[in-house]
Amino acid sequence: MRRVPEQGSLPANASLNDVTVVLDDRTILRGITLEVGPGLAILRGPNGAGKTTLLRVLAGLAPLARGRRSVPGGPPLYIGHRPMLLRGLTARENLAFLAAFRGHVASDVAAALRKWGLGSDMDRPVERLSAGQRRRASLARIETEQVPLILLDEPFADLDSDALVRLRAAINTALVRGQAVLMATHMHHELDQDATHRYVLDDGALREA
Amino acid sequence: MNALDRALLIAARELAAERRHPDGLVAALTFTGLLVLMESLAFGPGQARQPGNASALFWIAILFAATLVASRSFDRELEDDAIDAVLVLDGGREALYAGKLVAITVVLATVALAAALLSLVLLDLEVALPGHLVLTGALGILALPPVIVLTTLLALRVRARVALVPILSFPILMPQLIACTQGAAAALTGDASAALGWAGITAAFALVYGVLGLTIVPAAIE
Repeated sequence: MRRVPEQGSLPANASLNDVTVVLDDRTILRGITLEVGPGLAILRGPNGAGKTTLLRVLAGLAPLARGRRSVPGGPPLYIGHRPMLLRGLTARENLAFLAAFRGHVASDVAAALRKWGLGSDMDRPVERLSAGQRRRASLARIETEQVPLILLDEPFADLDSDALVRLRAAINTALVRGQAVLMATHMHHELDQDATHRYVLDDGALREA
Repeated sequence: MNALDRALLIAARELAAERRHPDGLVAALTFTGLLVLMESLAFGPGQARQPGNASALFWIAILFAATLVASRSFDRELEDDAIDAVLVLDGGREALYAGKLVAITVVLATVALAAALLSLVLLDLEVALPGHLVLTGALGILALPPVIVLTTLLALRVRARVALVPILSFPILMPQLIACTQGAAAALTGDASAALGWAGITAAFALVYGVLGLTIVPAAIE
């Protein structure tokens, strides 16, 4: 992946070497080899092609039948289809917990949530927020957990136009910091023009577009 | 952040969620309360207040309560895939096990205290050695959750988890259940050495399964 100008020079990279994933006796990924460095990579493919599984492999959440995964910069930030926030806690509590677990400063959480338009709702339990608000809260983690590798699964789902602008800004900031962003999406979006790599995953096989 | 800090962070998160929505606590309190009440009616006052019967039914109720609390705790974790945000992190799996263990033990201790008070009042129990009874009770509360949290984690993605956890964990918990029951009965009747002996066995099981869980959970969670 082409490197973009870096300011923070975080050691962002991850690699998969000949990775095969089999779930429920079905081969989901076949011999995937992939290098991810700083910049934006977009992953496309039809439903059921294995995009989510590929992201989950990089996140360490899917077992490998064969091959090797390496993420030397530490655990990535993975934001999946669902918000991944614990019900019963507020948005602020959820993000503060996750930032603290990584040893990051939890005091930035309120500022990040305000940026995402959750200033007056950050102290409500997440189950009382709308789907779009929960999505915003989960995406605010891009700003509270600054790690070398960010994995986003369909990040545009449930977002209104304001949140799309915020997401684009957050991703651009991450790219300027030198972070790697790998995003699985169906949507063609203006972020496409910023992508350093575009991949297509079809029937478990990966190719560069 | 070290492993203990991470575990305590998970425990604090769990207890905060349980405090706001005490589904597990309420279900367990209702269940144990009703069981003690039903027991006193079904056995009749004479039989129900026999130390062996009273302590056996108390610990069976606590065992089911522990399963209920753990089940609700992990249901909450699976909603919206909240658990994945923890499993991704370094040390997340061990912290999840240890943190849940601490939090579920705290909730279970609350349930056990309420059930014990209810049993004492409703069954009009005479306690010969209160200190020994508290000791055996505390160790019993520490001994049950390690196995239940471990089996719940192992069966996490299994559709029949609600049925599978008791099937897997209850046979493993039979020695603990016997030790808790015998220890509590001995404390009720005034047999100090037997109460301490059973308490020691309970403590050993708590330690063994606590350490075993920490050892196998990182590799076992899907």
